[in-house]
Amino acid sequence: MSKKTKEPAMHIKRTAGDWVFDTAVVILFVLFTLICIFPFYYLLINTISDNDLVTGGKINFIPMLKDAAGNGVFGVQLGNYAALRNVQDLGSSVIVTVVRTILGTALMVITSAWAGYLVTKQKMWKRSFWYRFLVITMYFNAGLVPWYMNMLMMGLTDNFLAYIIPGMVAPYNIILVKTYIESIPSSLEESAVIDGASTLTVWRKIILPLSIPILATISIFGAVGNWNSFQDSLLLMNNRPDLYTLQHRLYIYLNSSSNLGAMMSQGGTVSEQAAASMLNQRVIQYTVSMVSIIPILLVYPFMQRYFVKGIMLGAVKG
Amino acid sequence: MNEHTKVIRPETEKTGAWQKTALWIFRLTALLSGMALFFPPANPGRISEKINEAASLFTTGISRETITNSMGRILRSHWIQDGDITLLMIACVIVMLGVIACAAGACMSLGNRKMQRRGLTLPLIGAPVMGIGLFLIHRAYRNMMAHGEEVGKLDTIRVMLPDGFTVFCIFAGLLFVTALCAFLIMKPEKDPAAKMEMDEKYRLFLMMLPVILLSFVFAYLPIWGWRYAFFDYKPGGSIGPENFVGLKWFGSLFNDPATVRDLVRVLRNTLIMSGLGIATSWLPIAFAVLLAEIRSTKFQRTVQTLTTIPNFISWVLVYAIAIAIFSTDGFVNSFLTNVMHQTGANTNYLQIADHTWLKMLLWGTWKGVGWSAIVYIAGIAGIDQQLYEAARVDGANRFRCIWHITIPGLMPTYMVMLLMSIAGILSNGMEQYLVFENAMNKDVIEVLDLYVYHIGIGQNQIPLSTVVGISKSLIGVTLLFGANGISKAIRGESII
Repeated sequence: MSKKTKEPAMHIKRTAGDWVFDTAVVILFVLFTLICIFPFYYLLINTISDNDLVTGGKINFIPMLKDAAGNGVFGVQLGNYAALRNVQDLGSSVIVTVVRTILGTALMVITSAWAGYLVTKQKMWKRSFWYRFLVITMYFNAGLVPWYMNMLMMGLTDNFLAYIIPGMVAPYNIILVKTYIESIPSSLEESAVIDGASTLTVWRKIILPLSIPILATISIFGAVGNWNSFQDSLLLMNNRPDLYTLQHRLYIYLNSSSNLGAMMSQGGTVSEQAAASMLNQRVIQYTVSMVSIIPILLVYPFMQRYFVKGIMLGAVKG
Repeated sequence: MNEHTKVIRPETEKTGAWQKTALWIFRLTALLSGMALFFPPANPGRISEKINEAASLFTTGISRETITNSMGRILRSHWIQDGDITLLMIACVIVMLGVIACAAGACMSLGNRKMQRRGLTLPLIGAPVMGIGLFLIHRAYRNMMAHGEEVGKLDTIRVMLPDGFTVFCIFAGLLFVTALCAFLIMKPEKDPAAKMEMDEKYRLFLMMLPVILLSFVFAYLPIWGWRYAFFDYKPGGSIGPENFVGLKWFGSLFNDPATVRDLVRVLRNTLIMSGLGIATSWLPIAFAVLLAEIRSTKFQRTVQTLTTIPNFISWVLVYAIAIAIFSTDGFVNSFLTNVMHQTGANTNYLQIADHTWLKMLLWGTWKGVGWSAIVYIAGIAGIDQQLYEAARVDGANRFRCIWHITIPGLMPTYMVMLLMSIAGILSNGMEQYLVFENAMNKDVIEVLDLYVYHIGIGQNQIPLSTVVGISKSLIGVTLLFGANGISKAIRGESII
């Protein structure tokens, strides 16, 4: 995000009031930023500290391990993350979520790129009607229960495809791609057409390479959405716990009153099981939360500029 | 699709009116039968009332599980034979193939003469294939009937010939006749070297068609579910003239005391939470304006990056964070114990129902304000710097600059956001409220979307929740068009 410096190089005397104001603003932002990121840090240190200290509520600002006398000293351990192998049902949720994120995002991006390109074609039969047909679905939906009955009717309940197929047509993303493609000089396309390229070839060889920035933007939005998906799993997968998404699984862990340590599967060696049973419920909840936050935090620095681009393009009406 | 078909020769001969009519009836029928594949009420394969009512022809053909999931005992006792179900599935697949051939033919019938003639041969094969499939369905039906009579369980297995069977027979006949007529009327292509070609406008449309169909199936077809609002429907039951109740459920929104009480409470929650959201919708602007006052670009960028993070985690994770901070053994209590040396600090703040609306607003703000500010930050960057310079020369201080230049510059964007949030006043979404809901705050946290989920999915009151959903959708659309109208009148620009 390139920001032009606000103040032009003018020499205005800054009054005492200005200093107070500036300081207050800086303090305000520092505080708010801390509020935004401290919870993530707090979750993290609770997963890498000694579990007894966590349970005893001793961890506040730094990760701690126990010394010989049983007092907390600074230190980290990664045993909780290793122990997650033994948490029941977590593995399948991670796999389902990863596959869904990859497949769902890829298909959504391809569909959006294809549809976004086609709706720029003035020659299409009833083009503006079909474009409105797609776009209007953003503002109108039939309601939760009719939607559910429709999915039932399509046989998409208890079915992995329910994560992939309905998400393929994303009208907002189609608008973004369309807006972007309209900004590409049409002469490029025309010259290719004169050379005899078909619509498909033009799309593949010219449009796709040129629209990579916008495709990156929508794929990041799509991937985050898929990774965070919870509602469709909650509504549609009632009889297939093995198809729950990670967020749904976490939701269940967060609400389960029974000790999750007892939910450990039978796998693993004796020492692993002993280690696993030492985990208490909170620690498992925190660790699973961290697991589902970490991928987002990892890709976040790379994706930020695309986010900004995306929201700015979105502000341009389709 | 052919390559190198950009240049289309103008069609010199006019196509006859009869041929045109036949072609359009054919295309329309092919489209309808293609859609009927996914439309359970038109399923010709539902030859027993025990076959899932929600199974379409497509599902019947590919999923044995869906066909049989409500006939456990019937199958175990062999009142319906496995073989007949297999026959039924094969028959359905054959009908499907026939329909696909006809649909392909309909697509090709948009091409030039050569392509049209090729295309029209497809339904001439496809429609008879559909006929064979339908015949096999009928065969499965007769087998089941005979077997049912043999074991004396005809009453239990409820064999029948569904309406969809008739519908598909009509489709097959119509497809065949119209395709044949069009084929016969059409003069053959004289030029033997002619290639199959299609006018670009139809070619582009056909390329778009899969996307349109997907959108239709998942965004428009649910409207068909609105019919539940007019019937006394129970899950697993059926709808028909016998349980048609007209507008009874719509009436119950105003007549039934329990429903009215719930609705008033839920609407109060919805409107208050949306209202609080709208009342604080200036916060992102304040955020952006204040951030722009800080000179260090590095500081600006860091703040912007870090405050945007919460927007990208799910509400479930926000709830996990809430547990980590505010639960009995969370940060606040351990901070009070360890740092403030307060004894007995073990309040579970999440279980306290006081100020729930405010808390929800604060969580929403925590999650969203940094993200919402981005659009305004970019807006400020786009304001002409000369305006500020001119104002300063005229002696304006920074507050006057903000008030007279920055804020007016951001107003158009803000108006759009504001109108959109007014249009969405009934739609708070349900995730946030679902995750934070507990026994204590149930009454004050339940918003309309969550209420629909609870009564529809949780309590299986399909008709009532459908009615609430319909009303919500219609009000939402009305508000949206209202907001759009206001925007057009005031700004001369539409928001949708």
